[in-house]
Amino acid sequence: MIITKSWLNEFINIEDKSADELAKTLNSIGLEVDRVVQYKIPAKIVFGSVLECEKHPDADKLNICKVDVGTAVYQIVCGASNVRKGLHVAVATLGAVMPNGLEIKPVQLRGVDSEGMICSASELGLADASSGILEFDSSIGKIKLGQELCENRYLQDTLIEIELTANRGDCLSIYGVARDLCAAYNRPLLKIADGEDDERRMGIGRILQLTHADDLDVNLRYKAIEIKELKLPFLISLRLSQIEEKQSSELDAFLFYTTYTTGVILRAYDYNFFKISDDAEKKAKISLSLDNLGFATIYAKEKVVSIVGVNQQDCSKMPENEGIAIIEASYIAPHIISKQMAENKIESGPLFYRTSRGSEPTLNIGLNYCIGLFDKNSSSEIYGGSVELCDEYESVLITISVDEINSIIGAKIDKTTITKILQNLGFDISKSQGTNFVILVPRYRHDIVNKQDIVEEIVRLVGIDNIPSKPFVLKEKNPLSSGYFEFKKLRKYRHSAANQGFFETVHFVFNEKAKLQEYGFACIDESLELLNPIVNTLDTMRPTLMLGLLNAASLNVKSGYKDVRLFEIDSVFSSARHESIKMAFIYSGDAYKDGILNGGRSSKMDFGAFVQLVSNVVGDVDLVAYVPEHTLANPYQCAKIMLNNQEIGELFKLHPIVQDAMDLDETFICEIDFSKLSFNLVEAKAYSKYQASFRDLSLVVPNNLTYDEIQRVIKESKSEQIVRFYPVDKYIDQSLGENSSLTLRFVLQSLEKTLEEDDITSNMNAILTALNERLGLILR
Amino acid sequence: MKEWYEKIQTAISVEDLENIRIAIFGKKGLLAKQFEEMKAVPNEEKANFAKELNTHKNELTSLFNEQKTVLQTKELYEAMKAQALDVSLYSTTSRKGALHPVMETMDRIVEYFSSMSFSVETGPMVEDDFHNFEALNLPKYHPARDMQDTFYFKDEMLLRTHTSPVQIRTMLHTKPPIRMIAPGAVFRRDYDLTHTPMFHQVEGLLVDEEGKVSFANLKYILEDFLKYMFGDVEVRFRPSFFPFTEPSAEVDISCIFCKGHGCRVCSHTGWLEVLGCGIVDPNVFKAVGYEHVSGYAFGLGVERFAMLIHHIGDLRSLFEGDVRLLEQFQ
Repeated sequence: MIITKSWLNEFINIEDKSADELAKTLNSIGLEVDRVVQYKIPAKIVFGSVLECEKHPDADKLNICKVDVGTAVYQIVCGASNVRKGLHVAVATLGAVMPNGLEIKPVQLRGVDSEGMICSASELGLADASSGILEFDSSIGKIKLGQELCENRYLQDTLIEIELTANRGDCLSIYGVARDLCAAYNRPLLKIADGEDDERRMGIGRILQLTHADDLDVNLRYKAIEIKELKLPFLISLRLSQIEEKQSSELDAFLFYTTYTTGVILRAYDYNFFKISDDAEKKAKISLSLDNLGFATIYAKEKVVSIVGVNQQDCSKMPENEGIAIIEASYIAPHIISKQMAENKIESGPLFYRTSRGSEPTLNIGLNYCIGLFDKNSSSEIYGGSVELCDEYESVLITISVDEINSIIGAKIDKTTITKILQNLGFDISKSQGTNFVILVPRYRHDIVNKQDIVEEIVRLVGIDNIPSKPFVLKEKNPLSSGYFEFKKLRKYRHSAANQGFFETVHFVFNEKAKLQEYGFACIDESLELLNPIVNTLDTMRPTLMLGLLNAASLNVKSGYKDVRLFEIDSVFSSARHESIKMAFIYSGDAYKDGILNGGRSSKMDFGAFVQLVSNVVGDVDLVAYVPEHTLANPYQCAKIMLNNQEIGELFKLHPIVQDAMDLDETFICEIDFSKLSFNLVEAKAYSKYQASFRDLSLVVPNNLTYDEIQRVIKESKSEQIVRFYPVDKYIDQSLGENSSLTLRFVLQSLEKTLEEDDITSNMNAILTALNERLGLILR
Repeated sequence: MKEWYEKIQTAISVEDLENIRIAIFGKKGLLAKQFEEMKAVPNEEKANFAKELNTHKNELTSLFNEQKTVLQTKELYEAMKAQALDVSLYSTTSRKGALHPVMETMDRIVEYFSSMSFSVETGPMVEDDFHNFEALNLPKYHPARDMQDTFYFKDEMLLRTHTSPVQIRTMLHTKPPIRMIAPGAVFRRDYDLTHTPMFHQVEGLLVDEEGKVSFANLKYILEDFLKYMFGDVEVRFRPSFFPFTEPSAEVDISCIFCKGHGCRVCSHTGWLEVLGCGIVDPNVFKAVGYEHVSGYAFGLGVERFAMLIHHIGDLRSLFEGDVRLLEQFQ
């Protein structure tokens, strides 16, 4: 919503307020200021009158003018096509410095002296009202030749754009904003004069008849005008440009200007359209009833003409700016029309935004203002009286005490202040008793329905800055909820991952369904799918974090990174759209930095080193061979990850086909079910104070036997003295045929004593026996 | 004898010294020879001869030991010098990872409110109309629903447009007093330079007995919180409108870039809008069946905070996983 100071000044005297003060006040009462524009017309630009205007002998497009600026008459050569004798114009006199820095000096144009310049709006930095030079009229006050333009408050104006919250339909007009400012500044609202019905005029009842159904929940008021010689005054065209509005005809401009000024929804109909041809009195007949969708609809001869608050058929509009027009002012409660439109979306006109936010319900304000404009700017004749339809409306009544108000605000605001604020806002509090306010809310404040709304009004007009801050005194209550521990757990694992060299990423939870399906991921069931995705590359909820990480890795490789290490912890969705949290890692490219240590050629990341990094974050893991359903993994380097004998996720080398498609180097990915990671307190175990011994066993192992089977047998048969064992070497040689040699290292330690050679031998023998009996393995 | 002292003193290496040692102290060395000669010394001179010889032996021994230490140290240092490094070649950059600036900002926010005894609550991203709108005083056809362009699913569920449904869930399963925050991702159907379809919010709610919680309390905690997050800034409250709070306000801080003088970031206003807040609307309490209570609520966008605090210009860069941005937060 754009307002200007001079426009507001029609309804509230704020001549004394600077632009800054005005902006500050608007902000403090909840009308947020987005933009302030101060029009500044330079000095020495004055009002002038064109006395003579003749064609330049040597230039088709130039005119030689004699311009009276009160104290002198200058000869000025002007190139504008609209320059003519009798115009009141803006004259930049010698010495004036234009906003673009150009200084006006005496010049010769094609051999003719020119002492000054006749200005257009854009040359003066005003909103571009029209092409060509400005044509002033008395709409901006009596024009005094020679007076500087910057002394005129309509030209040297302040424009402020405010952002209105959804509840403040009452401020969608200049009048509405002025009304709110009246409460803020404690000044009276200057009312719009009632249009006096001239008895000599023919009454509207002679030409218009309204028939309607009952209980329509709309307010309508009609006036009839015979429009003659309509002329758009300079001020209206200036202001319409300031608010960036363009209307197709003068009549439309008058109506729109009135609606913008007063907030009342206005329309004009062609009288002839409603005229019943066979009616002897040539009466026009408007009939009003609900259409089959429940909208209050206006009909002419059973044809739909308009829907109240929504739209108007073009065929019913005035074909030109002459003739008899029926002017309609309407109001429909915003909650009614919003609901109807949400249920049946029909095409709506430009005014619907206003009706849905709440237009001005006092229709006379708009009609009187409009008629005032016609009176001043045309020779139109206005028919006496009006035809109207009123709905039944019961005022909102709110009761609230001073104490209630103060307890919500948390400050002491006295009764007098509150009384003043409520009265200034136009609330009727005449029925109040003692410290209890009984408040009748005016209809234009449809947003005010309860006590809280009243408190909000007090708060915004007192000014939040004037409310002192107070700490809240709380009762003790343990705030350590499960959410807090979840937060701590997330924090722990995020820090661990970062410490292992991974960068945290955040991706949208949306993915591309086609891509996911191409890689064989199960997506959300079609019946549960997103209805209105924003783009088709984000058309489903992701079932995995891996795709996002892959895309990010690819992007980073393209920007020159040789090693990309990323992780993410966030939600994914199952095919039943069940939400769960996963943690995923990706490592692509070099295992180390290239540099002095490796002669500039780092080795590539490998399976084992990646497992180690992941394990450094999530804990001791066991890997089990596994082939996933998706096709991202190289099936020969892919594992299920086990933590404390529970499956927690998968880890794999990226399939070379995908790797190539994404321009990646050797890439490893791991995705883990975050809920399965532990966040328990550690229980310390007893530990040995005696020396540990190490023994290596080299076994001949068939190539098709996986280590996890050997590991299982050892685990089942080992004594407690073997505290740890792990593979240290795998030797493959032709001499071993279908076998390979696997060396395992055992760590032996006892809680009671230093182990003797005999103890160690018997331990190792037991292992060998078990491996031989159960898997047929022998020492190499 | 004197020359042997000199020999020890002029030995140039541990090896050289060892040869001298053998020549002096060895089985066939100088001292052995001298003691051999003692046999020929007349008896009355023997005691003196022996005494003198022993003195020499002791002095040579101590001189030898002394010289050995000197030479050993010298050789150790020569060996070390041979392995000298140009340490400046090993200047390096860290290979640490880093936490995401948005997540890290969210953590800082959560830490503040945790320390102020707010509990941390979570809820699902896929929500229903009741929790996301209806219970928050946003009935169907409410114009304020326009403010939040919503992602819907085919089964009429939706992606939460704010973290406020977590407040509703918390109020429905616990009793007042409540003092909670809800951090998390939220979704709006908007994608341009300054909007992403997903972003993060932290929402706060305090509920206590009727008449206990006031706007002044809300002002206190938010002023304190914003100073904790942004340092020494001015805080300004502007009346505003949210369907779930009343009275409502938007909170600005003085622009941290231009100190309030006006710059491009603050659109030359000197102020940056950072928070929305208000007194909980009675209709919200009605929706969850609470009676005789009062409360305040607030909500903020984490990306906005992170961008202001870390001077990040491009919102969308936060969701791209670009290491050029992320590595700066090591």
